[in-house]
Order: sequence, then structure tokens, then C-alpha cells
Amino acid sequence: MPTPRSLRRQNPITLVLAAILCIGFFIFFFSGGDGSSSLGERTGSTAASVLSPPSLPFRKSKSNEPPAAPPVVNYYMNNVTTSRTPIENEEKVLILTPLTRFYQEFWDNLLKLSYPHELISLGFIIPKTKEGNAAYAALQVQVAKTQAGSKNKRFASVTILRQDTESPLQSQSEAERHKMENQRARRGAMAKARNSLLFTTLGPTTSWVLWMDSDIIEYPPTLIQDLAAYDVPIIVPNCFQRYYNNDKKAMDIRPYDFNNWIDSPTAKEMAAKMGKDDILLEGYAEMPTYRSLMAMMHDPAADPGTKVKLDGVGGATLLVKAEVHRDGAMFPPFAFYHLIETEGFAKMANRLNWESWGLPNYLVSYSSHSPALVFDVTC
Amino acid sequence: MLPLHSSATKGKMHRNAFSNGQAGAYPSGGNGTFSIQPHKFQPRSQPALRRRRQLIQRILLVGGVFFTVLFFFFPDLRPNLGSGPLSYLTSSDDGQLETIRYYDLNNVQGTARGWEREERILLCAPLRDASPHLPMFFSHLKNLTYPHNLIDLAFLVGDSKDNTLQLLEDSLKELQANEDSRQHFGEISIMQKDFGQKVNQDVESRHGFAAQAGRRKSMAQARNWLLSAALRPTHSWVYWRDVDVETAPFTILEDLMRHNKDVIVPNVWRPLPDWLGGEQPYDLNSWQESETALALADTLDEDAVIVEGYAEYATWRPHLAYLRDPYGDPDMEMEIDGVGGVSILAKAKVFRAGVHFPAFSFEKHAETEGFGKMAKRMKFSVVGLPHYTIWHLYEPSVDDIRHMEEMEKERKAKEAEEEAKKARLEKINSQFDSKSSDWEREKAKVQDAVQKEKNDEAERQKQEEEAKKEAEIKKETPAERFEEKPEGQQAEIKEEKVDKPEQVNEERQEAPKKARDS
Repeated sequence: MPTPRSLRRQNPITLVLAAILCIGFFIFFFSGGDGSSSLGERTGSTAASVLSPPSLPFRKSKSNEPPAAPPVVNYYMNNVTTSRTPIENEEKVLILTPLTRFYQEFWDNLLKLSYPHELISLGFIIPKTKEGNAAYAALQVQVAKTQAGSKNKRFASVTILRQDTESPLQSQSEAERHKMENQRARRGAMAKARNSLLFTTLGPTTSWVLWMDSDIIEYPPTLIQDLAAYDVPIIVPNCFQRYYNNDKKAMDIRPYDFNNWIDSPTAKEMAAKMGKDDILLEGYAEMPTYRSLMAMMHDPAADPGTKVKLDGVGGATLLVKAEVHRDGAMFPPFAFYHLIETEGFAKMANRLNWESWGLPNYLVSYSSHSPALVFDVTC
Repeated sequence: MLPLHSSATKGKMHRNAFSNGQAGAYPSGGNGTFSIQPHKFQPRSQPALRRRRQLIQRILLVGGVFFTVLFFFFPDLRPNLGSGPLSYLTSSDDGQLETIRYYDLNNVQGTARGWEREERILLCAPLRDASPHLPMFFSHLKNLTYPHNLIDLAFLVGDSKDNTLQLLEDSLKELQANEDSRQHFGEISIMQKDFGQKVNQDVESRHGFAAQAGRRKSMAQARNWLLSAALRPTHSWVYWRDVDVETAPFTILEDLMRHNKDVIVPNVWRPLPDWLGGEQPYDLNSWQESETALALADTLDEDAVIVEGYAEYATWRPHLAYLRDPYGDPDMEMEIDGVGGVSILAKAKVFRAGVHFPAFSFEKHAETEGFGKMAKRMKFSVVGLPHYTIWHLYEPSVDDIRHMEEMEKERKAKEAEEEAKKARLEKINSQFDSKSSDWEREKAKVQDAVQKEKNDEAERQKQEEEAKKEAEIKKETPAERFEEKPEGQQAEIKEEKVDKPEQVNEERQEAPKKARDS
């Protein structure tokens, strides 16, 4: 009698475990079914097809199905808000970065942002240069890791663009980069890269655009909420760089971004005398503009919430309401009122009746790996 | 989690080993849970092997339970099993969601033969209260010869008071439900955004001078919103098309693309009723810059906008529209600075570089004209085709309608008059006996008599001619002189014919002058 004996030989614990396993599997299957039925509720946050806005994730099509005609999609842009409380209103943020070099700290800080990641889309544009290829490879590894990782760390979508730069300055070294004659070509090309990135990734559901340079490596995790809380069209924190101060024998900070300024009569006079295609640049001794630089307004003792109205902004970290860009404010690659790129952007936004503001006491930091600026400051 | 798990098994293993060992060494002590009954003979495998097998079984069991419970409570941790049949085991939406996209913008620069390289076009159309024109617009869409799956459609519907939105959605759904899959378009998006504009869209207020600057700026804003929301990294071209185009070639996309210019526009005219001259240039926003206009621009305020086609700003610019020759080469190109918005084909890279429709005064221009100016500023080529014409819908203005009403009234009066005349005649006929039958009888008699006489004369002439011919055979020379005369007559007739066309030409030239004067 083999059957009773084998039953007898089975341990009751084994049987119990097997039963649990069976039930577990059943529950597992049915819970899976429930999950798929709840998909319909979330269609608002996914794109209809591969063609749809890159700021939304899209559903993979089954390879064996014949491709269906893309559906007609309605976007209710009246409902896209930009408010003081972006998380409560589920406002989507697009973080755009023209990437020239990849810093691991940059990515780590991005992951630390406390803003819900499912509301954040990332966009990168990388030049097709040797340096760009390296940055591209490094970025790809990190992106793949994050987007396959745990769900609450995942971003809604990541778009990576490659483009040939028009005037490839072979050496991107700091000294070369800041030479005055190179500035116009470099910043013109940069402006075009920014525009390409902006106009291809800005979707119909985006509320805010956060511009962040690839060498910004330190900021509070609440950056987006903090800046959005001011509820102004364009806002910039103050950009600093940490460095080892040989005089004090300690780590110290120094101002870095000189594109945040309030205009001066001197600069206006200079502009009036200039030719149509000439541009005014900040931070060059041979061109003293006497503008009030926000970088110099930093006062650790003052109220950290102070805001000042600016006429020119830098692009290191810049939070913009999407409607400013939608109205047409872009980064002029040509001399616009003798201003170019981000400074020209502030001017163009101003022509469209949007104001720019700066936070002199809210600090974000540049990578200390980027070499120090070689020119001296004029005011 | 892991240490707990392993320690649990370890504990069991110890107990196991102990009980097994006990059972092996001391058969009498069989009170352990896992012990084997000693009173039966069993061929036993080696204890070490068995222990290992049991150990493995338990580890698997405990592991299985552990992961089942874990995955049940934490669906996030379920592994991604791809999109195959195994994907049913994974958590529902994650595995099917793709979040990373790579694009190379060098592939979407736009070339002359885009349809061969499968270049995508974004077709943009801003709409407001446009429902009367939509059926016509959709018939144009269906007829486009450019592969439909490569055309993405984007519409911005705003501040509409009629059923534009509903009609648009229905038409689009119908389009995509077509049985022929080649008729299906690519991505279709409808953006709904109200800007709260006060400006009226009827013909009169739309074209009044005072309203122009504000109207152009708000139109520019709508265009920018549409473009910035709809442009994707996959687009090589962007085509702007007004819905109220009445006639355009089906091949217009290919025709414009072939020129391989950054920005290109056709000539836009509109048909008119006969009493207004039959046709008229419509889009005056495509022009070349002139010295006068540049000088004028310098004198104007920063926010002023020069609008074309009004006496207030005499710019003396060469307009694309006026250069049209109906028999000219449709491929002829002309460099222009301002651009009209009825039908613009531009490479997507123009928009990616940042060129847009200024909703502020950019070099004293706004909207499409400002777009042309800005494209020029960024060194893109901007070209118009003077002899390649599309036809805008004719919407009668208030004056025209009044005139048409007058004409209709006149026509009716005339008709009434004629009818009255007819009625009077009939009255006369019915009231009085007509004497005409008598007259006709007599007339016929007279005619018969005349005919007879004529016949007699003809016969007499024949006889005479025969007599003459006989005489001619004898003398040949006088006949030659006789033939010269008719030639001279013919020459005179020719001259008359030549004179007449010149008069016609003069009349034609006068006609347009009149039109311009009026």
C-alpha cells in the first residue's frame, strides 16, 4: 500500500507550506489581474503612442499586433497650472540639461530631489564630440540603472538628444571658453542647443521647466518646491563654487554665475553705441558695464528668502513657468538688444511682459572640478 | 530579511540533523517530528545525502513562501520579465512602460526628397470658430499625396463659440477609422487653450487697421503655444496651413519641399465675383524689405507693429502676391523677408533653433512677418514662389455684401420690368386681331417673284461666263492681271486684324488700374 505510507511519510509542515504556496500563487495571479484593470485610470500620465510627447512615458506596443491608427488625443491646456503648491496640483516639471560633461554628483543630486519623481521628466542634449560621447555613455549607464530600479526613484521619462554643434570649439577648457571673442560663437551655439532641447521636449502637459547645468552638483532636495513657492515666472538661485581657499586654509565659496544682473545706465549707453550684431558681456575687464551682479549680493546673515528683480539671468539653475516659453521666450542665438542666450532670454521674456527674479541668498553649487574662472571681476 | 531567513533554516537543519542522527543511532527514541518509524524496514539512502535533499527542499519551500509574501505586499519589487508571456507574472504597467528615448537630431534636418527618407511633417493649424471651413479642410487633408502616416496633425482650438471642437474631433476620428490604413495620419493632438481674446474674428474687425497689431500678437501667441506643445524630436518639417484655403494642389507638400529651403511659401490669391474683377492677391504679408520700410521702422515706437496693406504705412515693398504671372514658371523662387501665414513649409530645425512667431514687436513686426524677419536674422533661407498659387476662400466683406444686395435688387427690378413688358405684349396680342398673317402671305408672294427674277439673271450670267471663258482660252495674258486684285484686298484685311488686338490690350491694362484706384 504505497499511498498511505507516502502520506504518512510526508511531514505535516511540508503540507502546510505547500498549501500556503498554492494560495499565495493564486492570490498573486489575481492581484496581477487587478493591477492591469487599474491601468485605465492612469492613462492621463502616459502617452498614446511612441510619437507622443517625450515628456510622457509610452506603452510598448505588442510586436505581433498590426499597428493601429494613432488615436486622437485631447490636451486640456487650460488645466495646466503653475502654482505655489506644485505637488498638490500634480504639476509636471521638465528638467533640461545641456550636457557637456557628466558628473556623478550631478546625477546623485538629481535622484535626491524630493519632488515626486513621477512628475519629473528629464531632457538632455549632448554634442557629438569626443567629450560628448564620453558623457553620453556615462549618462546612459546611470539612466538605465535608475529607470530599471525601484519605482519611486524612477523619473516619468528621460529624453536624450544628440546633435552636431555648429561651431565646435575643440577645447572646452575654461580659459579658452571664457575668451571674449569665443564667447559669442560659443553662447550662440549653446543657445541653439538649449532651444532645440526645449522645443522638442516641452509637452502639452508640462507646467514648469527647470534648467540645470551639468556641473551643478549641490542644492537642497527641495529645490523645485522652494523656487516654485515664490510663484514668479522666472526665478534663479545664486550660483556658487566651493573651493579650497589658500588664504584661509579652509574650504570656501566664491561667486560663479555673473549672468544674473540688474541693468545699469552705463550698460545701456554702451549698448546704444554698439552695432546691430554686437553683444554686451558680463565679467570682462575690457567691458566695464557697472551692472549690479546678483552674485555679489550674497549676504549669509540676511533673510534667505529675499528676492530681487533682475534684467539678465544665467542658465545654471533657472526655474521657468512653461507658459513663458510657450509664449515664445527662447534663448536668442543672435544679438537681441545686444544680449545673447540666457541674458537675451530674460530680455525677450520681459518684452512678453514676464518678469525675472533672483534669490541672492539661496545657494546652489558648481562642481569644484570645473576650474576656476580666469578673469577678474569688474565690480 | 536574509539573515532571518537563513537562520531559520539553520535552526531547522540542526534539529533535523539531531533527530536523524538520533533515529539512526538509537532506533528506540523516535519521538522527533522528522524521525522515521523504526519498526519498519526501509532501504535507506545514505543519511548525508538525504539530509542534504531535505535541506534543499526546505530552503526552496521557505524561499518560495518568502518571495510570494514579499511580492504580494511589495509589487514594486517584482522582477521585470520582459514583454513575452511571462510578463503576466510581473506587475502590470511597469513592464510595458517605456521611459527612455534616444533621438539624433542630425537625422531630422530635412532634405529635398523627404518622402523617400520617411521624414515626418508636423501639420499645424490654429482654429477659432472655424466649423464652416472644416469640411473643406478635411477634403484637402485626405487628398494630400505625401504619405499620411508621416504627417502628424496638431490643432489649437481656443475661444471658439461654435462647435469647432466637436466637429474637428468627429472628423479626425472618422479619418483614423478609415478602412484603408494608408489614409491614417500619424500622431493627432488637439490642444484646447483659451486666451480670452476680445478680438472678433469676422472679416470687418479682422482686417481693420486699428485692431491689427493686437490681433497679430494674439495670433502669434496661439501659434507659439501650438508649436511648442506639438513639436517632437522626430519632426523634419513643419507645415502651417490655414483652414480657409479653398484650392491647393494635392502635391503641395512635395512641391514646396523639393526646393529644399528653410522657409518657403507659395503665392496666395483669392477668387472674386466677376463684378470685382474675377481674382485678387490675398496674402500681402510675403514681401521683400524696402529702404522706405526700414526708414519708417526707425521712426516708430518700440512696440509699434508695421502691418502691410494699409494706407497708414506706405512701405513700397515688392509683394510676392503682385508679382504673379499666371503663365510664369511655378518653380521660380524669390527671396523674401516677411512671410504670410496661410501656407508655410519650414524645416523643423528652424523652429528648433528658436525661430518663432513673435508675440511682441520684433524689428517692428509681429507674427508671421516677424517670423520671416527672425528666420532671416538667424541666417535661414526664406523664399516665396511668385507663380505657384494657392487660392484662399472668398468671404464677402460688408461692402461687398451691400453691393451684392444692390445688384440683386437691380436684377430683380429688371426681371420684374421684363415680365411686365411680356405681359403687356401678350395682352395686346390677345386683345387685338393680328394682321400679320395677311402680311406674310403677301410677303411670300413678293419674295417668290424676286426669287424668280434672280434665277433668270443667274442663268443669263452663266451663259455670259461661258462665252468669256471661251474668249480667255484665246487670250491668256489679261487673266494674270485679273488675279492681282484679290491679293491686295487680303493684305488690307490683315492690317485691320492686327490693329484690333492692340486695342484689346489697352483695355486690359486699364482694367487693373481701375481696380487699384478703387
